[in-house]
Amino acid sequence: MADVAVRALTKHFGRVRAVHDLTFDVPAGQITGFLGPNGAGKTTTLRMIVGLVAPTSGEVLINGQRYDQLPRPRRVVGAVLEATGFHPGRRARDHLRILAQVTGVPVSRVDEVMAQVGLTADADRRVRGYSLGMRQRLSLAAALLGDPQVLVLDEPGNGLDPSGMAWLRGMLRELAAQGRGVVISSHVLAEVAQTVDRVVILNGGRLRFAGALPELTRAGESLEAAFLRLTAPAAGADPVRVVQPVLGPGGEPDVHGRPNKPHSAGLS
Amino acid sequence: MTDMGATMTTLIRNELFKLRTTRAPWLLLAAGQVLIVGGVSGLILRRDDPRDPTLAAGAVAHVGLVSLFALVLGILAMAGEYRYRTITDTYLATPRRGRVLAAKMTVYTLTGLGFGVVGSVVAIAAAAAGLAIRGASLDLSDVDFWRTLAGGILWNGAFAAIGVGVGALVRNLAGAVAAALAWLAVVEGILSQLLGDLARWLPFSAGTALGRLPGKDGLPQWGGGVVLLAYAAVFSAAALMTTLRRDVV
Repeated sequence: MADVAVRALTKHFGRVRAVHDLTFDVPAGQITGFLGPNGAGKTTTLRMIVGLVAPTSGEVLINGQRYDQLPRPRRVVGAVLEATGFHPGRRARDHLRILAQVTGVPVSRVDEVMAQVGLTADADRRVRGYSLGMRQRLSLAAALLGDPQVLVLDEPGNGLDPSGMAWLRGMLRELAAQGRGVVISSHVLAEVAQTVDRVVILNGGRLRFAGALPELTRAGESLEAAFLRLTAPAAGADPVRVVQPVLGPGGEPDVHGRPNKPHSAGLS
Repeated sequence: MTDMGATMTTLIRNELFKLRTTRAPWLLLAAGQVLIVGGVSGLILRRDDPRDPTLAAGAVAHVGLVSLFALVLGILAMAGEYRYRTITDTYLATPRRGRVLAAKMTVYTLTGLGFGVVGSVVAIAAAAAGLAIRGASLDLSDVDFWRTLAGGILWNGAFAAIGVGVGALVRNLAGAVAAALAWLAVVEGILSQLLGDLARWLPFSAGTALGRLPGKDGLPQWGGGVVLLAYAAVFSAAALMTTLRRDVV
């Protein structure tokens, strides 16, 4: 099973530093929560993992290879990156058949994944008539088509009702229990706290924490309190960061644990 | 299938699959036929002398005019993927974006040619029916008649390819369609007045030469074809460069 290694990843859009010197891992068999305020660089980072956005410097390796070097990328990494990435006039089953063909899996996988996400009864409807929750399920079905070892999910819970959220949580746990690596971005911290094994927290494009969830909350602090402390707008001057250094992936204090001058506020 | 991902054959089949699972291509094809039937029969029924030997060839030149729809189809192929955000899944499956573009160019050039062929069949039927109503008959031995149809078919293929290029460059579906239609309806006409003789090198003028639209003095038919091919090549090259370089955010 594959690990995802993000190494010194940096992305500038013009003069905007969207992501700066980011290093963390997404280990196999675990769910990694990828957290940060709006504009922290989460989506940009997830898109760099799968080669949609080219890093300014640094790299992401999956099984030691860049995404675009993988011979059958969708069979290694499944990704949900769009809130709704479908042609509205196309039937859901056709959408998945099209993807099955380029994923390199038999068309019988289409019915399997539709059953897995509970869309069998609506398979032949045009996506135009799908609710947001159904679209999320269809996105997830597309990501699962290639039976991938790694799942990259950008806010997959958006639009799901409470039972949908519970279903998603159960499915993610099952996928991780099968040895797959899952990275999931979300703003719903209470949900994340119930689901993930590890957390990676970004603010202003910089890493603020990467490690096991219990490491972050061991002082009795809730995930939400820790998140707000690490991502406060004035976090650059936050003295707490000095006493409690941010941990890198190996558990060693990260460079960002140093006392910091306030960094550019344009991103958060 | 090779170890390096989906083969070009698979990517081409995939583009055909995408093409036939939405309605837009069929609507554009149908709209083209309506225009052809109206244009061909209108010309033949209103002409004073139904036995004018240039009448049939002039009438079926409408096949070339529906390249407008082939152009829109090509734009939809590329900009539509950005519009509906399916481009993300497309590039996730095929990170080598140049291959996606090559497959689309192939499929949509062929589809444009197909539009031209279907339009030709409809145009021949409409011309034969119109002439019969006027008590004349269609002269199938007329070389100009067939050259006009052949030119119209090629014009459709070239404009579909150019459409794919425009869609890849502009990416905004509404903007790309609006820009293309504005070019054909207004911009090229104004430029023609400014450029004088040089205007025959512009894309629509080249198309009219290739499709032998009556009443136009410009390039010879083969010259129009070569110029359109050059435009298609330039748009493809520009589309490839931007497609490889731009982030999909």
